[in-house]
Amino acid sequence: MRLTLKRLFLISSLILVNFSLPAQAKVFNATNFKLDNGLEVIIAPNHRTPVVTFMIWYKVGAADEPQGLSGMAHYFEHLMFKGTKNFAPGEFSRIIKKLGGNENAFTGQDYTAYFESITVDNLDKILSLEADRMSNLNVPEDHFHSEKAVVIEERRQRTENDPEGLFAEQMSSALFVNHPYGTPVIGWMDEIEKYEWNDVKKFYDTWYAPNNAVIIISGDITPEIARPLIEKNFGKIEPKTLPPRIRTDVPKAIGETNMILHDATIHQPSVSKTFIAPSFKNDKKDALALQVLEQILSGGATTRLYKTLVVEQKKAISVGFSYNGTALDYGTINIAATPAEATQDLNDLMQTVMDEIKKVQIDGVTEKELSDAKQQLIDSADYARDSISGPAMTIGYNIATGATLDDIENWPEMIKTVTAEQIQAVAQKYLDIEKPWLRPAITGFLYPEEKKPEQIKPEQEAKE
Amino acid sequence: MKIFFYTTYAFLLFCFPVHAAEKFLDIKEVTSTNGIKAWLVEDHSLPIISLQFSFKEAGSIQDGATKQGLAQLLSNTMDEGAGDLPSQEFQKILTDNSISLYFNSSRDNFGGQLKTLSRNKDKAFELLSLALTSPRFDEEPLARMRDANMSRIRSSMGNPDWINARVFNDLAFAGHPYALNSGGTLTSLGTLTAQDLKDFKNNWLTKDKLYVGVTGDITAEQLKTVLDKVFNALPAQGKKNEVQKLELQNTGKTYLFKRDIPQTIISSALPSIDINDPDYDALRVMNYIYGGGGFGSYVMDVAREKRGLTYGIYSSLQSQDYINLLDISTSTKNNSTTEIIQIITDEMNRLKNQTVAQEDLDSAKSYLIGSMPLSLGSTDKISSILLGLQMDNRPIDYLDGYAERIKNITPQDIQKAATRVLNPDKLLTVMVGNPQENKLYTNIESLPNVE
Repeated sequence: MRLTLKRLFLISSLILVNFSLPAQAKVFNATNFKLDNGLEVIIAPNHRTPVVTFMIWYKVGAADEPQGLSGMAHYFEHLMFKGTKNFAPGEFSRIIKKLGGNENAFTGQDYTAYFESITVDNLDKILSLEADRMSNLNVPEDHFHSEKAVVIEERRQRTENDPEGLFAEQMSSALFVNHPYGTPVIGWMDEIEKYEWNDVKKFYDTWYAPNNAVIIISGDITPEIARPLIEKNFGKIEPKTLPPRIRTDVPKAIGETNMILHDATIHQPSVSKTFIAPSFKNDKKDALALQVLEQILSGGATTRLYKTLVVEQKKAISVGFSYNGTALDYGTINIAATPAEATQDLNDLMQTVMDEIKKVQIDGVTEKELSDAKQQLIDSADYARDSISGPAMTIGYNIATGATLDDIENWPEMIKTVTAEQIQAVAQKYLDIEKPWLRPAITGFLYPEEKKPEQIKPEQEAKE
Repeated sequence: MKIFFYTTYAFLLFCFPVHAAEKFLDIKEVTSTNGIKAWLVEDHSLPIISLQFSFKEAGSIQDGATKQGLAQLLSNTMDEGAGDLPSQEFQKILTDNSISLYFNSSRDNFGGQLKTLSRNKDKAFELLSLALTSPRFDEEPLARMRDANMSRIRSSMGNPDWINARVFNDLAFAGHPYALNSGGTLTSLGTLTAQDLKDFKNNWLTKDKLYVGVTGDITAEQLKTVLDKVFNALPAQGKKNEVQKLELQNTGKTYLFKRDIPQTIISSALPSIDINDPDYDALRVMNYIYGGGGFGSYVMDVAREKRGLTYGIYSSLQSQDYINLLDISTSTKNNSTTEIIQIITDEMNRLKNQTVAQEDLDSAKSYLIGSMPLSLGSTDKISSILLGLQMDNRPIDYLDGYAERIKNITPQDIQKAATRVLNPDKLLTVMVGNPQENKLYTNIESLPNVE
């Protein structure tokens, strides 16, 4: 709680595989408007049960932190529960619980989001509490320190206890050279210890403002009812002059990177490969084609990769291809495979996966694959509406990473326009090993501990 | 936490009605021509149908020591081809029609869930019927599922939470089927055959053990036909269940599985009371106050908010068919394990020795009653409530009276529940990590039921 979304890659497949509707219909039938102070609002009605999910997404995340203070956006998110001029630390959560609500928050590279799910009669109270902490945060010193210890425990739990967690972090760092996405959202251990109140206060004063936030409410609500309540609670908060979000570029690189970990706690070898790709924001057309490619390659037990490597060739136990485009600056493509035999050469295994991708690069995909994949993506929209909180999450992730509400509502229509030629083209452009886009992929190898000669028992040697 | 304890019952922690007088959920009981029963909540607001079912007593408790993982492997293989459709063809129809069909096994039960768009419902019910009545268990998909399970085990072997669960089960349920590994062992999985799956299915997936919950875009009349079509061909009578109830074993002891990691994973448990016990509702409220409520609960408040010792500490009630537990899970840096265990104990004594503050009680009741509608957000969630109520043998209007029962709980009721359950001297504690005081604990050297 106070979740850290370090695995943004995974989240995207939940979101982007998650919406669409029959022809021409909007996905969520949402409405948007903006207050005079710049606060954006999106309302996505669903009247099945008298409950709403309220979310507020601030357009600031780990990638906007000052140098040397990694993890501060996430740490700050924790502090948002630690008291304001009007409420004692922890009271925010206690009030919401008492009203029968659930609350939480999470931080990504590009955003920080806070949410509550609660019966709709309590919406006004939620709005007043969220408005209060947008401008009145006031954390007592002892809580400032104890929460730092909590975040350190969080990092131990999520990352330090798990060599594979540390390895994944290291792979991101190597991939996103000279770019903040290479720094983990939760921050490096040494830097977590260094936050000072003044840094934190400055971060809050700079970024937490109505004109840097988006409110999304999904559930049993209409814009007519919501608007006056939001005006009343947030309308008087002054906008701020926001600094530009300065993001550096990943420079062109030529050397291929292989990363290897041998560890005693690893019992199942595996291999993965990560490419940088465009985000939806930076190249909508290519992003859509990559989404359909993902569905064709990896959208179930009968699609290309699983069918070939796992069912037919028996080279892998699992294999996956995922594209994540919900990011402001760069998307990623991740390929992962687990070998069928522990002794298998992981380079060969990855090569087999890349051979399948090569087939798409050379021969393209069939019309049948294309239409099946599109239909599956389009059908998923009906399911996306079968939730109170889901629509707010989906809309939020996409808006916070540069999509528009129209993009989200018309996503099924846009998916329909993707052609087989586009899919072949994006496979050629972003998955080319010889002529990589931007920079070569990084390949990570996880192995059990390497047996040193002296660990091998004499009788085993004798057998050899 | 406690993956090994997932139960359809967990939802009840979060769901209670708003007003006693109103119907919280309009549940209909539907009986097919052939006598198959289901509970239904009709909702035509979305073109979606969710059907969930469960066979009671058909879980991994029936695996046996040499065939650990059998129920789970069956659940993995049931949707891998049926009737004339081999695995890939069967899966292809599911994917192309956006039908989601999964089987699952818990310790106590074997179940499944189907979700479909209304326009594909005939196909969806047909596939489910096929999977239930004539699964193929072809050698190829069976081997693939077996390998996937073995790979999952190898991938988990380095995970301290998973290690903790393995050790905990072995100690808490020593001598009982619960002690075995429901996910199978590397050895047992290798020996399981198609005949084993067939036998398990014929013995346990039978109509006398079946419960069904349905929600969404379907009428009672339509459902009657569906129930017969999907379930009627199953055998009428299953094998007699011989698993016995047990008491928590190794109480009052602390065990350590040493691992060189910076944070120690801790899980503890106490014997608890049955869901039909008159004090159970009070216990539920007490658990919320003690550690079930997350932020604001007694243990979270002290261990995280005041002392910064952990990212999270939670308690929960585990009501299984053969045992009832209250368990606590947390993790903390290696040199804080003694301190956090002291907090776990101190907060128990506080609830036992003092009358709970009226404000704490009111807040807990208010949450438990007020949050109930949050459980109705999706067709899946509603179906799982319908199923859980039946599995627990609750009356169809059980939820309608829930708020009233919670409201009436007094501070004395809480203290009584605390006195019955919160007895720190009975704590069984399992740690995985490298606590500094490690000499105090009984060391566990090898992982039970894995290899």
